[in-house]
Amino acid sequence: MRNHTVKAAALVAAGALLLSACSTNKEESPGGGGDNQASCDQSKGTLVVGVIVPLSGDLEALGKGISQSAQLAVDQANTECKVPGYKLALDAQDDQRDPTIGAQAATKLASEESIVGVVGTLNSSVAQSVAPVLAQNNILQISPANTNDTLTKGEDYLNSPKRQWKTYFRTCTVDSLQGPYAANYLVGQAGKKKIAIVTNGLTYGEGLADTFTVQAEKKGAEIVTRQKVGENDTDFSGVISAIKPFNPDAVYFGGEYPQAGPLSKQLASAGINVPVMGGDGIFDKTFIELGGKEGDLATSVGAPTDELPSAKAFIDAYNKEFEEGSFGAYGAFSYDATNAIIASLAETIGDGEWSADKRDALLEAAQKYSAEGATGQISFDENGDSTNKVLTVYQVKGTDWASVETGEFEE
Amino acid sequence: MTTLLQQIANGLVLGATIGLIAVGYTMVYGIIQLINFAHGEVFMVGAFGGLAVWRFVLPEGMKEDWYVALPLMLVGGVVVSVTIAMLMERFAYRPLRNAPRLAPLITALGVSIALQEAVRIWFPDADRSQSFPRVFINTQVKIGPVEIPATGLLLIATAILLGLLVQLYVNKTRMGRAMRATSQDRDTARLMGVNPDRVIVLTFVIGAALAGIAGVMYGMHVQTLGVRAGFQTGIFAFTAAVLGGIGSLPGAVIGAFIIGLVERLGGQYLPGGTAYAYVWVFVVLILVLVFRPQGLFGESEKVRA
Amino acid sequence: MSRLSSLVPAALGRPLSAVGSVLLLVAAMLPWATFLLNDGAYPDKATLQFFDAPFALTGYRWHVLLFGVAALVITFVPLPGKGRALRALGFGGLAISVISAGFILSEGGGLGAITAADGATAFGSIVGILGGVALVLGGSAIGIGDIPHWPDSPFGLTGWAQRLLAWAVLIVSFVALLWLVSETLTAGGTSGVSNPYAGPIFLAFLGMAVGVLAALHGIGFTRWLTSLSERHRAFSIIVLVLCAAALPFTDAGTQYWMTVAGTIGIYAATAIGLNVVVGLAGLLDLGYVAFMGIGAFVAANLSGSAASKLGITLPFPIAAVIAAVIVGIIGAIVGSPTLRVRGDYLAIVTLAFGEIFSKSAQNNIGDLTGGANAISNIPPIAVGDLGFNEPITLLGTKLPPGVLYYFLITLLVGLVMAVFANLKNSRMGRAWIAIREDEDVARAMGIKTGQAKILAFLVGATLAGLAGAVFAHKLGTASYDAYSFLQSVTLLAAVILGGMGSIPGAVLGASLLFVLPEKLREFDNYRLLFFGLALILIMRFRPQGMVPDRIRRAEFAGETAEGKPIEEVQEQLVVEHELDVPKGGKA
Repeated sequence: MRNHTVKAAALVAAGALLLSACSTNKEESPGGGGDNQASCDQSKGTLVVGVIVPLSGDLEALGKGISQSAQLAVDQANTECKVPGYKLALDAQDDQRDPTIGAQAATKLASEESIVGVVGTLNSSVAQSVAPVLAQNNILQISPANTNDTLTKGEDYLNSPKRQWKTYFRTCTVDSLQGPYAANYLVGQAGKKKIAIVTNGLTYGEGLADTFTVQAEKKGAEIVTRQKVGENDTDFSGVISAIKPFNPDAVYFGGEYPQAGPLSKQLASAGINVPVMGGDGIFDKTFIELGGKEGDLATSVGAPTDELPSAKAFIDAYNKEFEEGSFGAYGAFSYDATNAIIASLAETIGDGEWSADKRDALLEAAQKYSAEGATGQISFDENGDSTNKVLTVYQVKGTDWASVETGEFEE
Repeated sequence: MTTLLQQIANGLVLGATIGLIAVGYTMVYGIIQLINFAHGEVFMVGAFGGLAVWRFVLPEGMKEDWYVALPLMLVGGVVVSVTIAMLMERFAYRPLRNAPRLAPLITALGVSIALQEAVRIWFPDADRSQSFPRVFINTQVKIGPVEIPATGLLLIATAILLGLLVQLYVNKTRMGRAMRATSQDRDTARLMGVNPDRVIVLTFVIGAALAGIAGVMYGMHVQTLGVRAGFQTGIFAFTAAVLGGIGSLPGAVIGAFIIGLVERLGGQYLPGGTAYAYVWVFVVLILVLVFRPQGLFGESEKVRA
Repeated sequence: MSRLSSLVPAALGRPLSAVGSVLLLVAAMLPWATFLLNDGAYPDKATLQFFDAPFALTGYRWHVLLFGVAALVITFVPLPGKGRALRALGFGGLAISVISAGFILSEGGGLGAITAADGATAFGSIVGILGGVALVLGGSAIGIGDIPHWPDSPFGLTGWAQRLLAWAVLIVSFVALLWLVSETLTAGGTSGVSNPYAGPIFLAFLGMAVGVLAALHGIGFTRWLTSLSERHRAFSIIVLVLCAAALPFTDAGTQYWMTVAGTIGIYAATAIGLNVVVGLAGLLDLGYVAFMGIGAFVAANLSGSAASKLGITLPFPIAAVIAAVIVGIIGAIVGSPTLRVRGDYLAIVTLAFGEIFSKSAQNNIGDLTGGANAISNIPPIAVGDLGFNEPITLLGTKLPPGVLYYFLITLLVGLVMAVFANLKNSRMGRAWIAIREDEDVARAMGIKTGQAKILAFLVGATLAGLAGAVFAHKLGTASYDAYSFLQSVTLLAAVILGGMGSIPGAVLGASLLFVLPEKLREFDNYRLLFFGLALILIMRFRPQGMVPDRIRRAEFAGETAEGKPIEEVQEQLVVEHELDVPKGGKA
């Protein structure tokens, strides 16, 4: 009876959905580009740089920043003929922030011979399932955002570091540097002795808070309390009231700016007017828009961006190329990671042809890679970690971050 | 002691937010026995509606005067949430009114996911957290040792006031009587000249209006907004409605205050600290459902299906 | 009857179908796009291809051609269920045409892309759409009657001859199914930069496959096949498992598809487990994925991973059994509130349980879950020195990495299917169904409802725990965020989409929900939006699922177990009652 009209309606609706989806897809279609690169020799074919990040759901914005920054590096390589004879293309895959889907995306990328390297992932938990797949297929992976130490140096990374996957590298910093560096500054330079810690329960924040705690206590500060907020919480009054009786003179937050900003604001209005400090996850202008207050602190890897010409060049180029979506916290690292893949590839291929046999040589080239990137000097140590151990402390001044101290972490 | 009082105050503010949402849950469930999972999303779109008014409608000069900006934003929030709720009722739930119980529940989950994603994709910049203006008086109010932001007091007052108003409406007016009749027996009510469709729409509208108001006020209180704001608050609100005895309006509001207190005090005093605050709410829910399924204020029913 | 058929008088049905068939034939031979797509020949450049290369039609145009021929033949051949078959072919042709037209439109930007532009004409898609519509209308006008019943023993065969025929039919059908699965997986190739057309090609292929299956269903073939496979259950399961095991030897035998197929298998096994709870016993569980998660964490802790604090290393089979037992016990505990709460309330209890699990796992409860860092580096399952993640050579064929997991998971799914099928037809299964239909009546009939319900939870949880244990090893990590509320909803959606209480339904549902996002990665930002809308639409238009269980269908669609509309049957019953001829029939 009415089943039939109903089916027809469903079909029409499905068709309409499909149409609307297709039409928005067009601009992003990777087939579209390629006009302005006519000057380069691209006769030998197309090589692919993969990206594995969340492109749907909550973390889509950060993922998009990573994938667009990688796109920028690829486009620049094409216009500047960085890889002779080849055209480069970017293949960004969604991992849905799920280890399962991430592993599938990795297998999918790995199944193509033209894949030369993968930029990703965003989440350390996803990296744990992506890295083994890529390692099995001998594919270079450079993460712009995984800060978990165990990914490069194994479970017992403090006492007996042991490289996990020979294909895994990263351009970002690790928790065991960033947390302690922040502790040195906050306890040493800023002289804070009673510190409260708040985390959001995710890998990044917990790892940062753990390493911060160890170093801060070593430096003689007291961690008066450690509290946890839910990853989607916005009302922090419970945590704030729990902290208040301890009268801390600083709060260290393990998490990202969407929560750090409101937390800082709510702390201040509840009368806890002390600086909030965090890692590179809160080093974003949005932190200040969301409530970050004068005097709040953040660490970020590399020399201050305003002193690095390469950083400024990246930001300008990015804003010129993409109208939509900021590069976010990890865009610069992604740009550097992609450039590392491209440069190592050019080195490996030389005048020859690409084949899957060259993947070993590519890994070696990446291991030896060294160049100035948007986040500073980029090269990798024997575990695949970035050798860029320079960190900068930034402080909120007015409506922007200003660098206050730059250096390397020392015990 | 100060901490205890402060956490109680925090719990009451949280409870007020949850309570405004729980009223919608309990009314809808009372009338069509539907767990409207998407009701938390109505709260979220309401908040975005208020934000849209602030960003795109209010001229610069008016943003400073809260007595102009706040009512306009509340109207915006209510209009958006009511519209969404009516569309939801008309196109997603009404066709399923005689379907087996499982169908509308799954639909509600679908609506919830679709709404979150639609806002995230199409509202400008909603793919990241937004800052929400505090259009109300921006001071801390001191009551003895306890400090609450003025917005928190406003939330508590609003929850109690609106809760009472809805209770009065349902108990004293003609339409309210129609609602109660429909919830007891839809077919008999129809025979008595009640138009159940109208009553059901009205129920959704009242629930959505309260959720929309809650959305704007909560956004203003915490000064930030994201598309995931509705889901957890929504589940808390449902828990509150069940705790209070589903179908009972005072029960929903009181249940909400209890949930708020459990969340805040549990995080403060129970083992595990704030990391487990969220867990205690669900533990309470399970205990209530197992040992007093009719809730604190609900009438005992022989069969709950 | 149908509003569609009332559009066209019945007498016009056959001519209209003929016109539709011919239009499809013509469409297949017409050019489809007025321009050359920038990355190769998706539809080949506009030419009247039939005349220069009649057999060179490939891809979706070949399918449209086949549909046209088939429809033409069916139109003029006496065949029961003709109307349904024609309508199905029409919908299939329409789907293929609409999808291709949509894609070409979006690539070409403007109606000129599928009509006439730059001196080229390309009316293929429009003619195809018209043909599809004509077939749908024609088929409806011919009449959408009952699905014809085929005799169980055709040609009067008996004894061994009948059995051999049945076996032959089953083998051929399952091999065809294997082929279809392999083709569906590989349709359009692996999407990516080098292959931007994978999405639309895959969708068009899916349209074709669904059209063919619906047509076969319309003439009563699938129902006959179902009844044959039920009659020869053991044989069917063996053949099915063998066919599944043959998948790696087809085109789909790449590392990627083996990984995806393995994941689908895991979720399918879990979905069947959930089907025991939701489909059979009617107990809605919104936190089911937690059981899978606990299974994964138990296995991870016993695997000897460096991240596990227990430091116990057990061989996988023992660890899996322990995981299944522990999860089964927890399942019984979680199920115990069912003694007191029902329906929606139970759903909320299970949701609460799922949330408690996820939060506790995130907080590294008892040092057992690794917290936010997860338990990583779980070694792969190994037999001797052979890790399951390594490639192997079997029967002279080199099989990709991941294929051993695929075999293991196929066995697991087979096992779970067997358990489910036996339970469903057992005393306990009937008790569950009785509880689902009406708990009070079931109790009055002497069923121990409390026991039965807890047993349902126990069985379902055990199956999920087992699946989770395999999953942890396959993935190499056990992390709380892989077992979120959304996963529970997805699993539930798989069961409902497939058809509650039905085994092929659960497998089909899980396959679709996990293959579609893989195949349509281009739409990733819209994935969840589509998922939400799909849930709404399914519940609105086909709540009984794609392969409904017979009794369920009766409930959801207002049809009897034989597929007749209930109103009709009721009228018939009234008439029969008046004639005083009592006759069975479930109203």
